[in-house]
Amino acid sequence: MWIKLRRTFRSGAKNFIRNGWLSIATVSVMVITLFVVNIQLAIIGANDLRLKDVQNRVNISIEIRPETTLPELNDFQRELEGYEQVSSVELVDKEQALAEFKSFTQSGSTIQSGIETLGENFLYDTLVLKTQDPSQYEEVVKKIEGSASAKYVEEINYHKYRSIIDGLSSELRTTRKFSLTLAITLSLVAILVTFNSIRITMYSHKQEIEIMKLVGASNNYVRFPFIWEGIFYGLASALIAIPLSFLYLKFITNGEASSSVFAFSNTKFLKDFMAVYFMDNILVIVSLQFILAVMLGVVSSLIAMSKYLKKF
Amino acid sequence: MIRFENISKVYPGSSPALENINLQIKAGEFVSVVGHSGAGKSTLLKLLYTEERPTTGVVSFDSANLLDLKKRELPILRRLIGTVFQDYKLLQKKTLAENVSFALEVAGKSDMEISETVPKILDIVGLGGKADHYPLEVSGGEQQRVALARALVNKPKVLIADEPTGNLDPISTWEIMQLLLKINEFGTTVLLATHDKGIVDRIARRVVVMEDGRIISDKQKGKYEL
Repeated sequence: MWIKLRRTFRSGAKNFIRNGWLSIATVSVMVITLFVVNIQLAIIGANDLRLKDVQNRVNISIEIRPETTLPELNDFQRELEGYEQVSSVELVDKEQALAEFKSFTQSGSTIQSGIETLGENFLYDTLVLKTQDPSQYEEVVKKIEGSASAKYVEEINYHKYRSIIDGLSSELRTTRKFSLTLAITLSLVAILVTFNSIRITMYSHKQEIEIMKLVGASNNYVRFPFIWEGIFYGLASALIAIPLSFLYLKFITNGEASSSVFAFSNTKFLKDFMAVYFMDNILVIVSLQFILAVMLGVVSSLIAMSKYLKKF
Repeated sequence: MIRFENISKVYPGSSPALENINLQIKAGEFVSVVGHSGAGKSTLLKLLYTEERPTTGVVSFDSANLLDLKKRELPILRRLIGTVFQDYKLLQKKTLAENVSFALEVAGKSDMEISETVPKILDIVGLGGKADHYPLEVSGGEQQRVALARALVNKPKVLIADEPTGNLDPISTWEIMQLLLKINEFGTTVLLATHDKGIVDRIARRVVVMEDGRIISDKQKGKYEL
């Protein structure tokens, strides 16, 4: 058994090297397959991060009537914190809000001088509220509006943002579906191309298989060098495709991050994805890639040669 | 040792390739099967190394009915039968030495035995100096000698040679024939299919003549006569 494995391994390795161009062609096709799949997966990953990010940004700002006293305000805040759906409530008082507002606008601009002439703070104290899950906002807003504390509320601005947020989330979900279908389709195409090119390689082995059987090789003895060859195709292509995808992603995320609406050009999240997800899971990704590539190689080889083995 | 009994072989949609063949070959014989192309020589030999199965009849080898062998037993049978062909059937991607050692590897021989046997057998066929060449780098005659070495290396009981000299010049042809005779002298049964009148007449051994799938004559010390 061992001697068989060793011998077939050796002959598979020799085949791989001596096949030269055919091996290079097969490996290149597999590299492209893996590369395309990798990039698509990265885009999906980045897109998911972006969706999470948008969801995190969503909050409810509750502007408080100016006549509300500080103890009342604190009670209201505690009441909100008591809601089971609410994950955090933060008080932004109007001085702080004004300072933030000023820092957003340019000094010396009309808005700034407007604020100066106004002389007083026109902003409200605000409670900024987040829920466990974005889908719970609606519920929470209704609860506040129905409660006794509603008298403190000047305005809840959730309604203003809602349509924008909903629009963005649904767009991101569509992008996700789009990327996923594209990834699956491209992978299928690439798998078929790989399978076909291995089939062509096997065709070149047709006479060899016939001769091996003639000399008295068992079916398994004939099969194993080709299985090894398939493994080598897989290993070689994963070995090239992983650094290639990595370098490519690094290259396009290099420099200033852009946060375009389109997933493809949104490098900010791709960058985050690379930095966080990719690096954390690099071992899993790399080994999965190897396993997938090897399986692709082996299965294609086995299917491709089965018809030459059946003959006798 | 080898018996063909009432053999016929019919390919669907064509006239029979073999019809009512009865032939017995004793151990140690040298039998030439002659006839025109398409007379059924190759088909007859294929039955023996089980690349083809007869439509009716029995092929037995060492009193074992080949038709009863299971699929996984066929490789073992093929190691007992050496084969040589007109087109040599060497593995182009392996060197001459590797081509020979492959037959030993397949039979599960140890590495030590392989490294001892291969140079010896290459020396016997006169190719000791070309062990590391690839088949395409040597002449047709030399390729055929490698094929012979490969066929012999497992010490087969029978050597089947199907038009082994069909692609060779007269000198190479004669060299191969002398090797075949030598192999036969050492006790291996040789079955030679050929349409080369010259060599059949010259070796003066048993000749079986075939025509249209039938045996029309079978003579000890025969000549090529159609």
